[in-house]
Amino acid sequence: MLPPRSVVREFLENRAGMPSDITMPPGPVASNTLDCDKSLADAVRRKDRKATAEFVQRHADAIYSYILIRVRPNAADADDLSQDVFLAAWQCIGDYKGTSPLRAWLFGIARHKVEDYYRARLRVSDLDEAGAIAAIEAPLDSALDERRTRQRTVAALDRLREDYRLLLKWRYWDQKRTAEIASALGRTEKAVERMLARAREHFRREWEAHS
Amino acid sequence: MSDQMGLELLIASGAELPEAGAVRASSRLKSRIYSRLVQEQAADGPLLSLSKTKAAGRALCVFENLVQIAPVGETAGRANYCRVCHARVAGERIESAPIYWPHCPYVLFQNR
Repeated sequence: MLPPRSVVREFLENRAGMPSDITMPPGPVASNTLDCDKSLADAVRRKDRKATAEFVQRHADAIYSYILIRVRPNAADADDLSQDVFLAAWQCIGDYKGTSPLRAWLFGIARHKVEDYYRARLRVSDLDEAGAIAAIEAPLDSALDERRTRQRTVAALDRLREDYRLLLKWRYWDQKRTAEIASALGRTEKAVERMLARAREHFRREWEAHS
Repeated sequence: MSDQMGLELLIASGAELPEAGAVRASSRLKSRIYSRLVQEQAADGPLLSLSKTKAAGRALCVFENLVQIAPVGETAGRANYCRVCHARVAGERIESAPIYWPHCPYVLFQNR
């Protein structure tokens, strides 16, 4: 039995790998945590090398994890983007006011870096590629257990060509509206909708091919 | 079930990746990020001196301690010594690098 749409939405809003700080207002954060974050950021700004090491050690895993699930299977790109996030953070560390957790601030930078990555990669792809979209009749097997479903989804996404994969992640994981994607790419909404339709179609084929 | 609904359901299920919360950055990546950050900081002017770093309650590694106690003046303590340290080279190139001395950032990054 499939869950109702509202349940899917709720799942998406609380999905793992997406820090809640980005999509939802942060919950109450202990003031000593914020003080600690502000103190670390100030030390990094003063070019304290040991504080800089602590800054990397504390947050690199979370930032890398966030980026990797969005650009996989290109792990090398995840490395480069993670480094870019920390460099950007250093360049604007003075902007961090300590009113939210340092990690949430870093996730904000990471989100922008990932969007830049999506935009750059999708701009070079052929969004106006012609091709009919075949009707899909085969229903999805709703009886699959949750773990297997996850693995199949990840595997199906990984097998897609890069532009389709990135577009689906941008649209569904990051919940970008078609209009926003079109604006970011400098394309029409129609063109993006056509590509999304093709991406969904290929996703479904991959899904079914390995059932 | 519509295509849209089906895909949202699948993506929602798939979003909870097995490694989403568990995946760790490699120690080589952390080392490279740290090296690059300190390089950028040094390019923008001298680093915080070792004596001030120590005064702020942060421990120094054995080589930094040597520099800090040597009669070489405050300016010497502002240089980026990691740049010429073999621990940096090992940390950036080898996962689980064989470096063990205390308070070295490249030792801190090792996933052991």
